[in-house]
Amino acid sequence: MAHALREKAAVSGIGETAYTRGTTKSGLALQLEASLKAIEDAGLKPADIDGVVPYFPGGGIAEDFIANLGLPDLTLSLFVPMGGATCVAAMQSAAMAVATGVCKNVLISVGRTGYSGARVSTRLQQFPQFALAAEFEAPIGLFAPAQLYAQGARRHMELYGTTARHFAEIAVTTRQHAILNGNVVMNKPLTVEEHHASRMISDPFRLFDCSLESDGGAAIIISAADRAKDLKKPLVTIMGVAEGHPESPASIAQRPDLLDFGLSKAAKRGYAMAGVGPKDIDVAEIYDCFTFTVLRQLEILGFCRTGEGGPFVMDGRIGLGGDLPINTHGGLLSQGHVVGLNHVIELTRQLRREAGKAQVKDAEVGLVTGYGDMGDGSLAILRRAA
Amino acid sequence: MSTAPGLQPAPVPERPMPTPTRESQPYWDGLRDGKLMLQHCASCGKVRHYPRPVCPDCFSMESEFKAAPLTGKLHTWTVCHHPFNFFFKAQAPYIVALVDMEAGVRINAPLRGVDASQLKIGQPVTLQFEPVSKDVTLPYFAIA
Repeated sequence: MAHALREKAAVSGIGETAYTRGTTKSGLALQLEASLKAIEDAGLKPADIDGVVPYFPGGGIAEDFIANLGLPDLTLSLFVPMGGATCVAAMQSAAMAVATGVCKNVLISVGRTGYSGARVSTRLQQFPQFALAAEFEAPIGLFAPAQLYAQGARRHMELYGTTARHFAEIAVTTRQHAILNGNVVMNKPLTVEEHHASRMISDPFRLFDCSLESDGGAAIIISAADRAKDLKKPLVTIMGVAEGHPESPASIAQRPDLLDFGLSKAAKRGYAMAGVGPKDIDVAEIYDCFTFTVLRQLEILGFCRTGEGGPFVMDGRIGLGGDLPINTHGGLLSQGHVVGLNHVIELTRQLRREAGKAQVKDAEVGLVTGYGDMGDGSLAILRRAA
Repeated sequence: MSTAPGLQPAPVPERPMPTPTRESQPYWDGLRDGKLMLQHCASCGKVRHYPRPVCPDCFSMESEFKAAPLTGKLHTWTVCHHPFNFFFKAQAPYIVALVDMEAGVRINAPLRGVDASQLKIGQPVTLQFEPVSKDVTLPYFAIA
């Protein structure tokens, strides 16, 4: 029997601000600007929004959305505090809300002043999920995800022979894709040599292995699939969606397997709900806070086996025209960092066939992941149902 | 801030210090006394780190802290080049090693006195103690 949530919800609207380094706007203003665009894109009015999932913690709460968008009757407000896994995990909550009739249209939004506001090492120390890292790891010199995740990347390299060349392939391919998209922070070509020459941040991560600190906002609207088919844009349904939490969720150091992410649990459930497998995926938008994070998720998602992520990403396989084009918008590495909501937006564009020069021909089924907060994971599998 | 900027030398950046909790206090007290004190379930005996109120195996809320051996093996490491914190700017680059301690938990701490190019998974290391204030001692590792 098909899962009760399969294709009951749809991504009905998408909106983004400009992705920049530098803005005078607040995180809240960026969220609202993107939200208004998403509402317009769906052919809805602000008053049609009855559920909101603002980014936590990110300068916006339900009260702000009611006050700014004049929402007459909000029936659901949620935070999903899962770091980079938040946005895709929020799609599960939103899908549940619209499938049960609690809501008609749920707005998920992110606004970040990652460049013009507080930087990552300052921001994270204030997250409740980072309390253990703040107590045990900040005093010995680990503050930022680049440092905390580097230890897992190093272990993968030592165990499986993964190399900086593999990481570079992901960075370079992602940049090539970004250049095709008009709204990106990084719009100049990147070579493997430039990647290797970029300064070391936390070995093995170099500058170009790391995602951007940028400013911008993004928003999507999740609607019941039977309502969304009457809206403005081609119908894109959620076939499967899931979140997963790893063992020792707030401390990578104490996790039995450093390379096990919450995604391994979520992927199993998400594929089962969708009724598809890795071979059915035409395009994938993989959360790319770091190049290595992409490589390891491709393994966890079953596109290749554990330890084979390095060779898998080579030879054009993950580029446009390859077997599995990934991050066709430029991702967090080159487009902008809005906690991966830009990945959901790009996948929706791909399935609507609105992806312009980066369009994957005949894309029917695609996958998007979230990863964050020391290894929480989420994925959604979307389908063109128009 | 009562003084105008520029009139005084920049303050020396302070080391980020731990804020012990009711659960973790014995661990920090142990380091200050030159011991690695780890939390064990008083009911099933299983060790757990970082300290927390409930044993996730048998759900007992009773626990005791016992001194653990200082030896362990390298699980993985990173070399921090970019200082994400002002205090650590003067120390960069520095190695932070994640170590499988003999007692069955991991400790993350700086690894000193060795070049990163020499490191291998499984390499034996020993925990050392560095007092950084009257109350706080932090761990670091040296090659065994």
